[in-house]
Amino acid sequence: MKVPKLSRGQRALLNCAPFNQERSTDRAMRSTVARAAGSVELAGQQNFDRAVAELVRLIPVPPETAEWFLEEDLAVGSKLTWKKMVRNPAVVAISIAVVVIAGVFVFQLLGRLNDFPGSATARKLLTVAGSTRPVMLDPVSTEAGTLSDLFFMKHGLEHYDVPEEFADFRTIGCRVFDDEESRRVAQIWLAEKRMQLFLFPAERDAKTGAVLRFPGWRYIHQEGWAGAVTEHNGVCFMAAIRGGEKELAAYLPNKQ
Amino acid sequence: MLGDSSKAQEVFHTTLREATLRAAQGQLPKEPFWLFRDARWRCLQATQAELQPEPLKLEEHDLAPQAASQIERLDSSQLAIWISSAPEPQRTALALFYLNEFDYGEILDLAELKLAELSRFLAQGRRQLQAWLNAKFPESRTV
Repeated sequence: MKVPKLSRGQRALLNCAPFNQERSTDRAMRSTVARAAGSVELAGQQNFDRAVAELVRLIPVPPETAEWFLEEDLAVGSKLTWKKMVRNPAVVAISIAVVVIAGVFVFQLLGRLNDFPGSATARKLLTVAGSTRPVMLDPVSTEAGTLSDLFFMKHGLEHYDVPEEFADFRTIGCRVFDDEESRRVAQIWLAEKRMQLFLFPAERDAKTGAVLRFPGWRYIHQEGWAGAVTEHNGVCFMAAIRGGEKELAAYLPNKQ
Repeated sequence: MLGDSSKAQEVFHTTLREATLRAAQGQLPKEPFWLFRDARWRCLQATQAELQPEPLKLEEHDLAPQAASQIERLDSSQLAIWISSAPEPQRTALALFYLNEFDYGEILDLAELKLAELSRFLAQGRRQLQAWLNAKFPESRTV
């Protein structure tokens, strides 16, 4: 079969006709090839081109040329220095984030290191101490140590004893109230440096009910207040004062 | 295109270096194949300074039915030499067409040719190659 009559442009296209089906072409080329499909000339041209292309594919790449692409530095750029890396905004942002996360982690870790059974309740009571006004307490002017009998006689609270370190201080007032978990808390206001004393049930093991004891005095801090806490006979005692540990340390000669 | 690996390597590295610099400055052209075109122009510039072969009128034959079997008998490096000895821009047209990596539109763009020119170079190339094959394997003509 001969090639049908084609225009000059179509003849030109036919000379550039693809020799395999995979290569995509435009509409003009497709229509020209379709018109000439089945002709001896086009078949001969495509067979010729295919054979040449097959041989071209076998042309060996010189070893020295192949080596160009094996080199790691095809185009050598400027080296990444420490200074450049540090100035990179992404590196700066990540560094700041890591420092903040590390800071929070260390802060929480240090906070946990000072934790002891009942520390959560003690912190809440420091907040109570900060918000308490003298009018909220029943006026009582006596030695703090004598209020143990009052708590037992009037409220049925056993072992709500003020330690001997604070037993001799004069009181301004006292009260007994229930905290958020309905535990009975005794609060005493001292004339001495407007110190406040708290007595509350010690924390217990959830399974066995046994009192979770801890030895000596433990310090806690909350909202500008400091507290020194100790446990005795299943009742925790806390002396709270506005300020830091130094103010309380003077009253606790044997702090452990 | 150059027939000299050291010159080719120089062109290769210069082209890549230039492309890297332009990329770093955000000045890469949006048109496709600019890198190939750039490399081709560098090759042409490199060859311009050299001695040029005398223009030679090659014999041309119609494509033979047994052309494919003749080509099969040809050594690939012989074909490479034959294509590389073609004059520009026919050399570029033949090389790009038979590399089978670009369609005709892309070749026109890359080699900066018109359709009629590309068509002529390819048709002429086929006929010249056939004549060379006939000269190289004369017995095949009678098969």
